[in-house]
Amino acid sequence: MAGDGSPLVSIGQSPGSPPTALPAFVARPPEGFYRSLNPTTKLVISFAEAVCAFVVRGWTGPLLVLVVVAACALLARIGRSLVPFALATIPLTISILLVNTFLYPGATDRIVSIGPLAPTWSGLAAAVQATLRVVAFALSVAVLGLTTQPDQLVGDLERRGVGRRAIFVIGSTIRMVPRMAERAAEITEAQRARALDTQGGILARVRGVLPLAGPLVFGALTDVEERTMALEARGFSAPGRRTVLRAFPDGGGERLLRWILFLGTLAIIALSVAGFLEALP
Amino acid sequence: MDWVSRQFPTRVIALIPIAIAINIVLGYTVQTVLKLPIYLDSIGTILVGVLAGPLAGAFTGAASNIIWQYAPGIGGGTIGPFAITAAVIGLLAGLWGYLGVYKSRPAGGPQLLLAAVVGILVIAVLAWRIYTSPVYGTDPNEGGYGSGVYAVIVGIGVVAAIAVGGFIYLRRDAAGAWVAIAGAITGIVAAIVSAPIAAYAFEGVTGSGADLIVAALRQGGADVYNASLGQGLFSDPIDKTITSFVVFIILASLSPRLIARFPLGDKIVPESA
Repeated sequence: MAGDGSPLVSIGQSPGSPPTALPAFVARPPEGFYRSLNPTTKLVISFAEAVCAFVVRGWTGPLLVLVVVAACALLARIGRSLVPFALATIPLTISILLVNTFLYPGATDRIVSIGPLAPTWSGLAAAVQATLRVVAFALSVAVLGLTTQPDQLVGDLERRGVGRRAIFVIGSTIRMVPRMAERAAEITEAQRARALDTQGGILARVRGVLPLAGPLVFGALTDVEERTMALEARGFSAPGRRTVLRAFPDGGGERLLRWILFLGTLAIIALSVAGFLEALP
Repeated sequence: MDWVSRQFPTRVIALIPIAIAINIVLGYTVQTVLKLPIYLDSIGTILVGVLAGPLAGAFTGAASNIIWQYAPGIGGGTIGPFAITAAVIGLLAGLWGYLGVYKSRPAGGPQLLLAAVVGILVIAVLAWRIYTSPVYGTDPNEGGYGSGVYAVIVGIGVVAAIAVGGFIYLRRDAAGAWVAIAGAITGIVAAIVSAPIAAYAFEGVTGSGADLIVAALRQGGADVYNASLGQGLFSDPIDKTITSFVVFIILASLSPRLIARFPLGDKIVPESA
């Protein structure tokens, strides 16, 4: 997945790579219709897809979003990288399918009767719709993640006037989460080496929470002081705006697309709340 | 405007990403690695709310869920739509912060005993609410699952009551009673806010350990919404009470000098410190 526009690509060179290779920050400008869109446009598309998948009920919304997501993925040539994201929803979709097919409240149209088990058609329909909704949502998120570098998105948002505090929080969190997950894994292994049971029965796992959470949380909280000093030393709370030198391509067409998507999404929400969309299959 | 900006000084801005990361990493560990039917993904949210105020807490909660959903690698399957719940949790935490719920209140004698009794009563009321809930049908002919469920509820209730009462008594700190009340209220509100989201977006099934409870409630004849609400009223008060005690322990373990520099620090650090 590395080099695929995946946001997990590490900045800087790995120690083993030949010295002639370009450093990772010299990224090739994105190509193709979807990839070369402005990061904010891609974010707006993704949000619009997510809202449509949930707000337009029945079959229409999820299927429509799936078609749009698939088209975007094909245009961006990331069809294959989407497979793991679709596979990742399997535990959830199995749960949705089982619970709803066998235990759908009020459904009487049984498919078959096997002893106490009574799968119903209406339960199955609701389950498949919910599954499509979840998969459509997950893939809309994945397409954004696979085609958009978080730092570019954050940079573009800052250029558009999003406050520096919000920008710092988003950017810092995105960098912090993988580092913290790494640290959590280290702590888990360290405690396991000291005979902490993380795979036993429920009681053993409950007992495992504290030795994991304690060092993680206290370690992170002691960093707050240092980070505050570092920010203050760099004029974080100074008045005025930061100048963003990096500009991302943006055109009138894209601006129009964003407004259409934004207003269209609001209209769909309004129609759905007013109950006009219930006629759709 | 002053009320807003006072909740977001640089120190809080530096804390929020760490709080969000704590939410995501602990939530991911508890739900995915340890596979428990609780969430433990609002420690950071409650921490920021208590230290900085309702708006900072609400922002941390909502941002946690949205960033978690869109985070590369560990992106959560169903967490995004629950940003609304997380914001409400943060808002409430800010309220508890203003009210000084998390301030250490050393006590002794009858006062301490009263606090321990109040803490145990909170747990008892919660357990009673679950015990008498009509969604836990007991008639096996109607799909209920026998009286065994009551034994489980009573068992969990007794353990929780002993834990809370013991915590208050051994630490000699009456604040534990307030923390238990705050956690329980937060949990009930979170369940009420979550249920329609779970029912509307995911047909009530969210792919976590809590799905077992949803399935059991539907077996007992509850509809999609009530099964989610019943599950929430089971998981959330337990989860938020645990989370509140975790936050209380964190705040009690951090140096008062560190806490006092946050906007609501004076509501947490005891006067004598």
